[in-house]
Amino acid sequence: MTAVENRAGSTTVAPPRARPVLRAGHWLSIPVRRRSLVIGASLALALLVLSVLTLTLGSLGIPLWQLPSALVSPPDARASFVLTILRGPRLVTALGTGAALGVAGALFQTVTRNPLGSPDVIGLGSGASAGAAAFTLLLPGILPTPVGALIGALSAMALVWIGTGRGFSSPGRMILVGIGVSAMAVAFIQFVMTRVGQQQATTLAAYINGTLADRQWSDVATVGIPVLVLVPCALVLGRRLDLIEMGDELADSLGARSNPTRTLVILTAIGLATASVAAAGPISFVALTAPQVARRLARAPGAGILLSGLMGAVIMTFADLLVQQSPFGVQLPVGLLTAVVGGVYLGYLLVREWKKGTV
Amino acid sequence: MARLAPGLALAAFVLAVAALLSIAVGTRFVPPETVWNALIDPGSSFDDTVVQSRIPRTVLGLLCGSALAVSGVIMQGLTRNPLGDPGLLGINVGAAATIVTGLAFFGVGTGQERVWLALPGALVAVVAVYALGSGRRGATPVKLVLAGAVITAILSAYIQAVTLTHPDAFESYRFWVLGSLAGRDPALIGQVLPYLIAGFVLALFLPGSLNALALGDDTATALGAKVGRTRVLGALAAALLCAGSTAAVGPIAFIGLAVPHIVRTFTGDDHRWLLPYSALLGPALLLLADVLGRIVASPQELEVGVVTAFLGAPVLLMAVRRMRGRA
Repeated sequence: MTAVENRAGSTTVAPPRARPVLRAGHWLSIPVRRRSLVIGASLALALLVLSVLTLTLGSLGIPLWQLPSALVSPPDARASFVLTILRGPRLVTALGTGAALGVAGALFQTVTRNPLGSPDVIGLGSGASAGAAAFTLLLPGILPTPVGALIGALSAMALVWIGTGRGFSSPGRMILVGIGVSAMAVAFIQFVMTRVGQQQATTLAAYINGTLADRQWSDVATVGIPVLVLVPCALVLGRRLDLIEMGDELADSLGARSNPTRTLVILTAIGLATASVAAAGPISFVALTAPQVARRLARAPGAGILLSGLMGAVIMTFADLLVQQSPFGVQLPVGLLTAVVGGVYLGYLLVREWKKGTV
Repeated sequence: MARLAPGLALAAFVLAVAALLSIAVGTRFVPPETVWNALIDPGSSFDDTVVQSRIPRTVLGLLCGSALAVSGVIMQGLTRNPLGDPGLLGINVGAAATIVTGLAFFGVGTGQERVWLALPGALVAVVAVYALGSGRRGATPVKLVLAGAVITAILSAYIQAVTLTHPDAFESYRFWVLGSLAGRDPALIGQVLPYLIAGFVLALFLPGSLNALALGDDTATALGAKVGRTRVLGALAAALLCAGSTAAVGPIAFIGLAVPHIVRTFTGDDHRWLLPYSALLGPALLLLADVLGRIVASPQELEVGVVTAFLGAPVLLMAVRRMRGRA
């Protein structure tokens, strides 16, 4: 059903440049730029290379020439252990969370019309951590951790929505209120951390940074199913989103009802970001940087949902590869690496934005 | 302006009541008149012992509340930014980063060294946030707060990396990072006092220049204020006060943000009134938050850092809603 056709085929006057269009049935048709296709293909290739490196590097890695056959049927117990327990689930979780965060970030940045609007900046991650902390350590056994994280993330977003007084339409206020909500959530997490034993506190401290260590196939499902459901939703919403980027009045007059669309998009983004939190903890700044980098590479405005998702997956797999193969002996949570790199990048963006005078 | 002078007496009275409550309320309630008697003529009854044990905590609250509120006023004045707060602008996390470094790598950071560790971290963080958040067009609240978030993100990652690899440092850090007046060593009071006094003395010289600065750098220079010197002295005073308080009781959010905002509603923007009122009402708010923490979680207690975060966030929302069109 999916095919790249030439939209300009039947018109009498040929437009200056024919645009290929990605179609699936009547309800999905996405104009595709050639540059985006090339970038997308390169990112997919990069993902493949990174995945192969993740599985082959290191003392436990599977030799490259054995990998294709090992994927079909592992030759020995060691390879089987590496593939199905040690690195396989971890790799797939990295891919899933990266994609989820990239798409969530693209949606957030488009809806808020602000390159700095991301689930991290407005407190979703810290809200989710607080929820996870509450339901795993203070009230253990009532609800599973992912549900706790979902409740925390949704409460944080509700507080931001109420706090701005204008819903999600004022990005500056959203950021300020989000930072206030984060402060509350962080205080709560620190409170929980003093009420439990050292072992639990250390586990919680590692979790709230976002980690991919010891992931299992259940984590893959936690993030994989929402990605498979919500990314198509995001693509369908993407077209209306492009219209919203031109301004609410124009979007409304073109039939893309801006307020319901915005709410749906935000909910999709929150769903994706929360799925990622549930699987790997709050990974900082991937949602912020992935769409930015994707946008820069593709040199195109607009959501670039698929590209951002691919970019997010590339960033996550790369960061996790670095953490796994770090020469320092200890394996730190991958979220620390993304926090440092992303923090520096956010600082750079901030400087750029104040040069342009948009913040 | 004359009408504001009697108000200072009222503020002092509010502070006295807060201090009295801070001594009286707890797992064991001591009646106020008993507190009074025990303070004037310490005996050896059980109530007297309870009162004695709560005095260091109250004194810490008085000092740190005042320091945080005054440093908040200075930060807000210097940056012409209604969201100046040591927590939001990354000062607390700067102090925490150097303290954790000391704990993990040099085995210091429990007693007096803690102030010396906190101070450079706090100062560097102030300068970094301000440099990142301003630029040619000057600082706006959103830029400064985002700059604070950037510095916080990077330094938090560093702190987490260090604490995760050094369990001993983590054990000491996780109890310090939740700002609390309880269970702090009374000797801390004497240790941080010199830094706080230095900060307060510097702050005494600032009100006039902060008022001039509020008019913009050019006007301030035209009025004869030394803008550069005010910035340096102000940042130093704010960092001394904030680092001293953070070293003693851990990071406490939102006192520095909320108190100046509350005070501004009745003093206006004149720093000559803003500073003394904040110095009196800051500790009152901190002590009342501390008392509240003991009441809501009775018979246990809630650390004051948690209480202020939850009381302060609504004040932040209020401040944000008030800045029409600026964000």
